[in-house]
Amino acid sequence: MIVADLARPVLARRLRDEGLRVRTGPVVNRIQSRLPRVAQGIALHYAEYPVEEADGFADFHVNIVTPRGVRRWARPQVHFQFDGMRAFLPLPADQAFAMLEWGLNWCVSANCHQYLIVHAAAVERSGLAALLPGPPGSGKSTLCAALVNRGWRLLSDELALLDFASGFVVPLPRPVSLKNESIAVIRRFAADAVIGPIVQDTVKGSVAHMRAPPDSVQRAGQPARARWIVLPRYESGVGARLSPLGKARAFMCLADQAFNYDVHGRRGFEFLGDVVGGCDCFEFDYADLDAAVGAFDRLSRP
Amino acid sequence: MAGAIPDPSSSALRWRSVPPDALAWRHWGEEWVVRNERNGNTHLLGPVAGRVLELLAHAPGPLATAELTAALDPTLGASAASVEDVLTEFRRLGIAEALPG
Repeated sequence: MIVADLARPVLARRLRDEGLRVRTGPVVNRIQSRLPRVAQGIALHYAEYPVEEADGFADFHVNIVTPRGVRRWARPQVHFQFDGMRAFLPLPADQAFAMLEWGLNWCVSANCHQYLIVHAAAVERSGLAALLPGPPGSGKSTLCAALVNRGWRLLSDELALLDFASGFVVPLPRPVSLKNESIAVIRRFAADAVIGPIVQDTVKGSVAHMRAPPDSVQRAGQPARARWIVLPRYESGVGARLSPLGKARAFMCLADQAFNYDVHGRRGFEFLGDVVGGCDCFEFDYADLDAAVGAFDRLSRP
Repeated sequence: MAGAIPDPSSSALRWRSVPPDALAWRHWGEEWVVRNERNGNTHLLGPVAGRVLELLAHAPGPLATAELTAALDPTLGASAASVEDVLTEFRRLGIAEALPG
């Protein structure tokens, strides 16, 4: 069963009562909320995702709730609860779905230490993955959104999961978080992309989520071998420029962008060394998305 | 205590790295990454620093700056002053220590 199989009233009731157990890649999330915004966001963005049995194991138990008291009515806010505990400061109620997304990211980055977790987008073609690490503002989500609308598979927009056992990238396809100007840029670039409502005035500016391509969701059980490490940087006036990057510098970038590199000690160092050793590494300056996709397509040709 | 840390510019000093088994290395082209098991930190090293650390780690005993400089490949173009800079940085990072000569 997938989320789209649930009639909207059934979806809303599950979210309100026992919780919706939805699988995203290797993890099962039990999501609860009484908020219509959350139900609407899940119906829009998670339609293709598998629904797990109601009594099955869930890795994360999360709830988006409205606080008691005056904040329920005056400038209403919402909380993200993890295992019944408030995990973050509250946010305005219109950010409820975005808060769910950020909270689910946190669940993975703070808990899934069976993987080396890198703050990176990851896309795949022909079984080979490109990792796009970068801090906020580097343009990785915009580039990722463009690529997955032109034939690349979405492995993750935000969290690249590197599996110690296989060395492969484990897919965690979830909605792509677009911010500020990139929302309109992707609307123009990919008219068919499904983009949810824009939420203004978040800590990241204006935010809207783009639905993951259905094929990426359906193939979430298929890992891919890391083949390229590409550090994107949006730079106006540049079409698309791919420049070789030394592997040692690529290593340091991935280590800096990893959430749990220090957790794994020497094992993390050796593993990351093996991953980087098997990749071609680049810096990538871009402004034009068509040119950027073309550069990636050339990169992936045998 | 004043004077407890030797002046790295002193030619009388001899240097040693943390034990080799406390270092993990990767080397690609002219750049290195090294992990220091004694504090868990990872560093990016350029060609001179990488080679200096390699020499220290595999030396039978502490080495003076002049010995390190002489042992480097001349094509690296490293001066004694630049090697001293590297050693000073190594000490700050906990990779090496200076011993009185």
